[in-house]
Amino acid sequence: MSRAILILIFFIGLLSSCVSGNSDKPAGSAKYQQYYVQGEVLYKNYCSNCHQADGSGLGRLYPPLNKSDFLTENFASVVCLIKNGVSGELIVNGVMYNQPMKGNPALTELEVAEIATYIYNTWTNQKGMIEVSEVTALLDACGEN
Amino acid sequence: MNWRKTGQHPATSIQRLLLSIASAIFILSCQVSEKPLPIFGQREVVGTDTVYHTIAPFAFVDQDSAWVTNNTFKDNIYVADFFFTTCRSICPIMKTQMLRVYKATADMPDVKILSHTIDPEYDTVALLHDFADRLGVKSARWHFVTGVKDSIYKIAQTSYFATAMEDKTEPDGFIHSGAFLLIDKKQRIRGKYDGTKEEEVNKLIVDIQKLREEK
Repeated sequence: MSRAILILIFFIGLLSSCVSGNSDKPAGSAKYQQYYVQGEVLYKNYCSNCHQADGSGLGRLYPPLNKSDFLTENFASVVCLIKNGVSGELIVNGVMYNQPMKGNPALTELEVAEIATYIYNTWTNQKGMIEVSEVTALLDACGEN
Repeated sequence: MNWRKTGQHPATSIQRLLLSIASAIFILSCQVSEKPLPIFGQREVVGTDTVYHTIAPFAFVDQDSAWVTNNTFKDNIYVADFFFTTCRSICPIMKTQMLRVYKATADMPDVKILSHTIDPEYDTVALLHDFADRLGVKSARWHFVTGVKDSIYKIAQTSYFATAMEDKTEPDGFIHSGAFLLIDKKQRIRGKYDGTKEEEVNKLIVDIQKLREEK
C-alpha cells in the first residue's frame, strides 16, 4: 500500500519535474501542486496541533502562521526552525512568545520545502513555491546569522 | 422463530396484560427526563448504601502556588486531564479543546478545571503560571497543578482511570491519554471524553450542564 503511494509520488515527481522546467509561474505547476498537497499532509502531522489548522496559533503560547509578520520577514529562520526547532523569546506581531519548539530532525529537505510551500501559500500567505535547492542552501546556513 | 410461533398462536390475555404493563413502563421511563449520567468504577453495597468509586485524597500545587486538594472542588463539578507543556502531540489539541470548555463554563462558578502536568520536573509552578497566562486563563477556575511525579501518575491510573507514565522511547518522553474526566460534586467520575475530538468535547459541555441540574 505505502509502496504503491511512494511509487505514485515518485511518478508524479518525475512528471512534474518535466513540467516545472518551462513554467514561469510555479504556483500553477504540477510540481507546486504536489509540494502543496504533500506539505498540507506534513503540516497536519507536525505543525497543526500547536499552530492550528487555520494557522491562527493558540493564545500567547503558539504564534500564528497566518497574518504573521515573523513569517513574512524571516523566511530563512522559518526554514531553519521547521527542521531544527527554536527556543527563547520570539516576537510575532508585537507579541512575545516563549514556548520552545522542538525540531523535527527527521524531516528531509524535500519535506521542509513542502511544508514551507504549504505554509507560505495558505491562508493569506502568497509567497509562491519554495524549491528544495533554496531549502538546502538555507539549511546549510542555519545558525550562521 | 419465536415471532412465528406467537403469530400462529394468538397471545393469551396474560401475555397481553404483561405486554401492556411492559409498554406502560417503557413509556413512563421515557417521560422521566433523560437518563442520568453513568457513575464510573467499582461499587460496593454496604448495608442499604451503595459506595461508589471516588477520587482518592490528593494535594498538588497550582500555577498560583496555592494548594489544590479534594477540598478545592468541594460542592463543585470539575473536569480533569493530564498533559505537559512541552508536548507536541495531543496536548496542544487538548488545551485548545479545554479552552472551549473553559469559555463555555465562563458563568458557572461551580464548574472548575484541573490540569495535571505529568512532567513535574520541567513544569514548575512558574512555568505553569506562564503557560496558563499565555493560554489566556485569567480566573482561578482552571488549576494547572504540579506535584510529586509518582503521586500524579498514581492518581491518574487508580483514581481517574487515565494513562500517564514516562516512556523514554516516545519522542516527547511520555505516554498519556487525551481523556477529559468529568467529576461530580461527590468526587465520582461521571464521564470520560476524548479531549482531542471536538464532538466529544461538545458532549462534555452538554453533560456538564446535565450534571449541574442533577439533584
